[in-house]
Amino acid sequence: MFKQSGYGIVILIGLILAALTILEFFMGINHIGAALLMLVASLKAILVIYFFMHVSRLWTAEGEH
Amino acid sequence: MRLTSLGVVRGLVGYFAGMLIGMAVVVISRLVLGMSAWDQEAVWVGGIIFSIIGFLLGVGAMSDWLKWTRGVQTPLRHGPPVNQPAWTRYFGVDYNHKVIGIQYGVTAFMLLVVGGSFALIFRSELADSGITFLQPGTYNTVLSMHGWVALAAILLGIAGIANYLVPLMIGAEDMAFPRLNAFAYWLNVPAIVTLLISMLFGWDSGWTAYPPLSLRGPVGYQMVFWAIFGIGLSSILGSLNLIVTMLLMRPKGMTLFRMPILCWAILATSIIQLTATQLIGQAFLMLSFERTLGMPLFNPIYNAAGENIGGQPILFQHLFWFYSHPAVYVFVLPGLGIISELLPVFSRKPLFGYRWVALSSLAIALVGFLVWGHHMFTSGYQPYLRVVFMISTLLVAVPTGVKFFSWLGTLWGGRLTFQTPMLFTLGAISVFLIGGLSGPILATAATDLFLHDTYFIVGHFHATIFGGFVFPFFAAIYYWYPKITGRMYNETMGKLHFWLMTPGFWLMSLAQMTAGTMGMRRRIADYDPALGVENVQLLVTIAGFVIAFSILIMIYNLFTSAEVGVLAGNNPWRSRSPEWQIPSPAPEHSYARPITVVGEPYDYGLAGSTYIATAGAGDD
Amino acid sequence: MAAVTTSAQAAALHPHDAHAGHDHYAAQLRMNRLGLWLFFISEGFLFGGLLTVRFFLWGADTRPELDQTIGLIVTSVLLISSVSMRLAETAMERGNRKAFSVFILLTALFGLIFLGGVMVFEWGLFPSLYPAHLTPWGDKYGAVVFAMTGMHALHVISGIIFILIVWNLARKGNFSQERHWGVESCAIYWHYVDVVWIFFYPALYLIGNAVHVTH
Repeated sequence: MFKQSGYGIVILIGLILAALTILEFFMGINHIGAALLMLVASLKAILVIYFFMHVSRLWTAEGEH
Repeated sequence: MRLTSLGVVRGLVGYFAGMLIGMAVVVISRLVLGMSAWDQEAVWVGGIIFSIIGFLLGVGAMSDWLKWTRGVQTPLRHGPPVNQPAWTRYFGVDYNHKVIGIQYGVTAFMLLVVGGSFALIFRSELADSGITFLQPGTYNTVLSMHGWVALAAILLGIAGIANYLVPLMIGAEDMAFPRLNAFAYWLNVPAIVTLLISMLFGWDSGWTAYPPLSLRGPVGYQMVFWAIFGIGLSSILGSLNLIVTMLLMRPKGMTLFRMPILCWAILATSIIQLTATQLIGQAFLMLSFERTLGMPLFNPIYNAAGENIGGQPILFQHLFWFYSHPAVYVFVLPGLGIISELLPVFSRKPLFGYRWVALSSLAIALVGFLVWGHHMFTSGYQPYLRVVFMISTLLVAVPTGVKFFSWLGTLWGGRLTFQTPMLFTLGAISVFLIGGLSGPILATAATDLFLHDTYFIVGHFHATIFGGFVFPFFAAIYYWYPKITGRMYNETMGKLHFWLMTPGFWLMSLAQMTAGTMGMRRRIADYDPALGVENVQLLVTIAGFVIAFSILIMIYNLFTSAEVGVLAGNNPWRSRSPEWQIPSPAPEHSYARPITVVGEPYDYGLAGSTYIATAGAGDD
Repeated sequence: MAAVTTSAQAAALHPHDAHAGHDHYAAQLRMNRLGLWLFFISEGFLFGGLLTVRFFLWGADTRPELDQTIGLIVTSVLLISSVSMRLAETAMERGNRKAFSVFILLTALFGLIFLGGVMVFEWGLFPSLYPAHLTPWGDKYGAVVFAMTGMHALHVISGIIFILIVWNLARKGNFSQERHWGVESCAIYWHYVDVVWIFFYPALYLIGNAVHVTH
């Protein structure tokens, strides 16, 4: 996967999240159903949990970070 | 020694100071915002929130954390407070899990006595038809208080068992987060004080606090909401601590399937407590906010067009039972774990089907999340939901059956001895069987429609709780008493306690169910003599007093034996569990050296089998 | 069965004193991480419960009339704050103190802007700036909006306080490149608050058709 400690990847994920948010906004004003909106929201949540909250540190043994 | 050196005294001072400050804050803010100074709901809510914080600051449960925010390091304090008698550590913040476990246990026992006394008061009223000494309003308050005080006793009792035993059983030095552990205990104390204060104002809906009644009743409800929120938060934090402890602090060689079986039960319990408890906290906060700010979340409002633009009362029932049904498994799973833990010791045989028992606890916990709707068969929700919830509820019988067969398999062909803990374990099985067999009758929608809100429910519930919690809790107290005090309890008094309480409870439970099938409603102060339940009611009351008397014997036994009991030695029960391999009473630092697990936990009677070894003592 | 050796002297020794240091820190870090994540799971049930309340009372086809522009702006601000928080943590991992301070203060600032946006525009606390359109006591729309945003705002406020404490501790030199659990916990707590909003934003602003309630 990506090297998680760079500044670049953070910005990239931020841009993807922004794009998804704008997508959500237009889905919302065009009355696309609740299920699809929640799906996009889940995708955003997974990105934040994986890249920002680095959930994988829970099961990796290293203790340096 | 000054009185204020006791943490609990400082806490109570903080409690009442906080209450005054909170009330003043609300009154002043109301004046600033241009409202009338006094609104009892708002003023009390402010008072309660600040009083709980005041208690925690006063007792010192947050001192270390507050220092951390300023960058001050605080080493973990061990041993009793300096320059004070050793007993004072039980009345203040202490980080040792054994001290916290005893604090929980003793508080739970006191609450059990208080809650039981409430029951005796209104049972006396019910012994005869007609109103004799309790007016219906007071009757309802006492009855509702019995509910929550007893449930608080159970939650604290479980926390006591878990805190004392889990680190000992997995050979850990302490819990994962000792400060959080102490905080979680001390959060209960102001909550309980608040709960008891609610009696002065009254609240009359029964423990369920369904709206709209709980939105219209006296201000005592606000205290109940916040008290239960506090106890719930404590139970969330406690379970979080237990899960981390069990997952990360096990010694070398102790795989999950080599943990003592009680740990599995507590792991399953903790999963429920960690998650579901949020829902009752949320539901009670919503009730409090609806009362204080008028937010229409549960109370319907109809506009001119006849549409409901307000809330829905049934929403509360969904939120409430999403916790409160799994909560029943929180109450019974540790008890069932104690039964599974004690039977092999007193049968001198391996636990039958260890893995199945371990997984059945998890299965009960997980299925328990899907069954809340069986409390709502008569609530008026979509009728098809009745079928769904009926099927999911009946599923619970499968893992519960696994446990029963495991107990029978363990007993079968064992060399049984009948000391008091074993008697209470067997009593628990018999009583839980009564509760369990009356369960499917209520889980079936067709029969539940007739039995809903009758004494049959009361009988069923008390049988499951006594079988699943009270009897095993007493078994646990007798069993681990030597480890806690270093002395044996009095066996004769223990047996007397058992032989009064068990038949007393059988009688009480079956009589309650009988009254229910005869048409006796629950939560009413009076009943029509024409129902023909007067004799049955009298029997229930007499049985209740017999149980109470037997518990007095237990209290006397526990108090006197701590002084005069025979010295117990390290391992009076010849148990293989790690906690029995260390001195009694357990020392401040339980394990001088880390232990390693080299075998199966319950291989009683198998030649040459070993469970634990001491690291560094020859084997590595 | 081997008994555990229990000599009084050995019992008096606190095992952690013997091998304090790296192993102990790593073990404690693992427990801290798991504990915090369990707390998130627990809180997830609280916020999930609030979402349930929203769908139970409003259904999937109605929502209150809320200003879409404001919603998009506050959501973006919170998202940007999450990015800057992750940058702050990365800076700490790389030992760049100055960048850390800048980014974490930026995070707090964005958090405050989000909070201000919610308070001024959604709650209408200052009618002179923006006229109030919803009240908590009016109808189920106002009640649920205030319940959801209120509970979320409580977490934002605690997050900002947490950030300021961590910033102050970092200023005093309490964290190192290797050991900064305080920073890490603060960062993932802040991201968690963002995750909650990721679900609340569509639930409050986007799902269903806006209805005008007649009283």
